[in-house]
Amino acid sequence: MPPRELRYLLGDVRTATARYLRGGDDSFDGFFDLASLLLNVTVMSEMGGVRLVAGESGVKYLAGWRGIQDPLPLTDGRYLRLIMALYLEKTDKGRLLKVDEASAQYQADREGKRWIFRYDYRRHPKDRYAAGHVQINGTLTETGASMSRIHFPTGRVSLEAILRLLIEDFGVPPREPAENWRAVLAESETEFLRIAHQAPSGPAA
Amino acid sequence: MGTPVLQMTRDEIARTLESSSRARLSMSAPEMIRAYWDRRLVDPAEIADLLALVRLLRDDDPLIAAARA
Repeated sequence: MPPRELRYLLGDVRTATARYLRGGDDSFDGFFDLASLLLNVTVMSEMGGVRLVAGESGVKYLAGWRGIQDPLPLTDGRYLRLIMALYLEKTDKGRLLKVDEASAQYQADREGKRWIFRYDYRRHPKDRYAAGHVQINGTLTETGASMSRIHFPTGRVSLEAILRLLIEDFGVPPREPAENWRAVLAESETEFLRIAHQAPSGPAA
Repeated sequence: MGTPVLQMTRDEIARTLESSSRARLSMSAPEMIRAYWDRRLVDPAEIADLLALVRLLRDDDPLIAAARA
């Protein structure tokens, strides 16, 4: 696919963002459109795709094409296991879309046994770990201790930041030229940072 | 084109949960759910996909009830 004109890409970002911010049932579609666009201009392989997954409850997940256990194939031959729980919350401005939990795991194999790093965010954490944290499957150089069980607090990290990290630091080839994907991520992330919920780094008791 | 949605039935979710819990944690799905609730899992994020499947079930699902029992 040839690169798209930036003005059209940015237009699509704004349309999708406005759609998910409006709330109501349609906001799931807006969120899907935005996430799909972000992944398609950055690191998702042309063979990959995302889908909303629904079950018996009101929660919907943004995940891989074949379901929650299907990681997204990336342009470097590795995978991103992306799972985002979406729900509608009643507010004084209507039913607004919220992300309840998000997990993004970069992994070398489809099964996830050879994972590299994992960002997690939980709006309502039920354990002692920071609501937003990163884990790295590596070893501390100085002590030789494993880092995989260390939950480094991060605050809530945007999907845009993780996609940028994959390209800039892990060398995952982007699908669009830098002037396009950088502008798309910046446009989308600006709105995310305006509304993003931040949770404390641990329980009060 | 509308947003693609994968609609999972209750049986599909339960079947996937049971087989994946046994394969990865050597426990049944209700045992896995109970272990998560009791905070006995070393790292719940490693099974974020299974916990997501649990959340697709209704609160009164028999599998959830079995975990409560």
